[in-house]
Amino acid sequence: MGSQRTMSTSASLLLGLVVVAALAGSLFVSLGADDASASVAADEQVMRGRALVIHHACGDCHGGFSNPNADGWLAGMRDTAQEFKIGPFKTRPRNLTPDNMTGLGRFSERQIFNALRYGLRPGETPDVAITSTTPGQGNFPAHPKYLAVPMPWPAFRHMSDQELRDIAAYLKRGVKPVSNRVMDSEGPPDFWASEYTVEKIGPYPAAAFPAAHERAAP
Amino acid sequence: MVLNRRATPLRRGLVLVGFLSMWTLPALAQRRVEVTLTAAPTRLSLVPGAPTEIFTYNGQFPGPALEFREGDRVTVHFRNDLPEPTTIHWHGLHLPFTSDGSPFHPVAPGETYDYVFTIQPGTAGTYWYHPHPHHRTGYQIAKGLYGAVIVRAADDPLKKLPEKLIVISDNRFAADNSIDLPASLSEAGIVDRENGREGDIVFVNGAVMPTIRIRAGEVQRWRVINASAARVYRLSLPGHKLLHVGSDGGLFERAVEVDEIVVANAERVELLVRGTGSPGDRVVLQALPYDRYIPQTRPQTWNHTRDLLALQYTKQRPVTAEPVPALLRPVPVLDTTLSSATRLMVLTQGMINGQMMDHNRVDVAAKLGATEIWEVENLVGMDHPFHLHGFQFQVLDRNGVPEPFRAWKDVVNVPKHGSARFIVRYATFPGKWMFHCHILDHEDHGMMGILEVIEERNAEARITKRSK
Repeated sequence: MGSQRTMSTSASLLLGLVVVAALAGSLFVSLGADDASASVAADEQVMRGRALVIHHACGDCHGGFSNPNADGWLAGMRDTAQEFKIGPFKTRPRNLTPDNMTGLGRFSERQIFNALRYGLRPGETPDVAITSTTPGQGNFPAHPKYLAVPMPWPAFRHMSDQELRDIAAYLKRGVKPVSNRVMDSEGPPDFWASEYTVEKIGPYPAAAFPAAHERAAP
Repeated sequence: MVLNRRATPLRRGLVLVGFLSMWTLPALAQRRVEVTLTAAPTRLSLVPGAPTEIFTYNGQFPGPALEFREGDRVTVHFRNDLPEPTTIHWHGLHLPFTSDGSPFHPVAPGETYDYVFTIQPGTAGTYWYHPHPHHRTGYQIAKGLYGAVIVRAADDPLKKLPEKLIVISDNRFAADNSIDLPASLSEAGIVDRENGREGDIVFVNGAVMPTIRIRAGEVQRWRVINASAARVYRLSLPGHKLLHVGSDGGLFERAVEVDEIVVANAERVELLVRGTGSPGDRVVLQALPYDRYIPQTRPQTWNHTRDLLALQYTKQRPVTAEPVPALLRPVPVLDTTLSSATRLMVLTQGMINGQMMDHNRVDVAAKLGATEIWEVENLVGMDHPFHLHGFQFQVLDRNGVPEPFRAWKDVVNVPKHGSARFIVRYATFPGKWMFHCHILDHEDHGMMGILEVIEERNAEARITKRSK
């Protein structure tokens, strides 16, 4: 399909940009999180999640850029100018605030974790622990439905379990709910499954160092 | 047409006669009604060309329309001559758990089952019956198994009006005229599972574009049943305003004039069609575009208008319209202050409260006689028609907007990214009652849960245990 080709080109461009930002972010976090003890207070977890959300640029698409004081912080698309056109499809940044009807309020932290680690849409994926990346195995859905292509989860998934849980904790507990109904993103009937093959987004976990285009420091 | 039906007044009814005036007699004269239904493979011509292998009740497509009266003691002798297990679910009727035809009581091939129930007073209305085996409901209904049930009241305020039964369904056919049922892993199969299976051919009472005749001036009562797996009909009769007089559980208190009406899956509407046209006119009942879909699988033809049936005015001179009573019947109020619990049901694609159906799990446990409010939230971008077995309910509000009038319902369509609240009293029968999305593909893939209504004295203890 010609339209799919266009879509993957623009998607990879966009992904490339965000991947760079994401990698820089993870590095910073893993340095800063060294002293985190196993029994951290809940609000420390929320604060760590907040830092991750700010420097992973979640607000650049989902509202408020890097400023939690900004109107519409993480509240999703408020103007059609914020739609991303991917090939023939319009995709729309969702409301990430914990509003029950229009945001993430009715989704569990585990469902948000599954979205960031596996790219699975929380509304279409059971609230279960997933132990595999193979469809049909280990609670990974047989017909996975993925987040729309602009969402850089293939990069975000490489964060640690703890970091992803921190982000989920911040979104659920550290942000005020905002009622803002964002219409569903458009997309192909396979919910982008053909865009998220191992060939296109690489393996998880990432290949061992040094991979094909890497070298050990001289 | 009811087959093999015998009506015998009960002895008890006869004994009472001496004490009652003739006016109250009909309501109390219980009849025994026996019906025989056999489900079996059949070859019938549904579309031009070769006949199609389908399933039927008593060889008919749709199955025979059954007519009961309030108070009837009904026994349906069912025989399953299909090559697979099935059930008959009496959609919307109040009846014992063992006669509900839910997935708990499958009837194996070659076996028989008696569905025994009494038609409850106050339940006059339009219902339907269809199979409800686990994972196979969509398949068996697509193969042709469904039929109408009409329950009549002795004091029906509209009994003078001529009636038309309109059972709407859709289907699609392969090149050899077999029913087109794609493999679940195929592209069409995946789209069917998302949207629910739709067909490009719409049947009314098993025919394509049938004609209904009306005389100018005449008022007809139409009982409309949406028996489609997934297609929703936004009905419009050009040049005519419709009088909406009833829904799933029968008549409202007062008629409501509408330009069009949305009939979601498994819903019923009763309409009065007034012959305001001229002798010889012909109008077409249409289904206007209705966007119930998620964007990812919305069909390209979603915005097409579809013709359902022709309404042909006879050449006879107009008659004077039969007046419509101002009060149709009282609809009792379910008092929200009596509600002892609010049940939150969060619908996402294929799931209720993040879970799929499990026969061994009770999702809601409640006491017989309790009144409760259910709050159904739809978090995804497509409509989900929510059906509760066993009990009729009253919708309180949709998207926070109060319902304009009281009506008995057993299906409420919860629009995309929307919500609905209803109040229900578990008045009559204990047992395990399904609640589910009535898009059949969603139901079959587990978008279903179980309400257990408990009668025993120690219900309290069991309910506490269950909810842990």
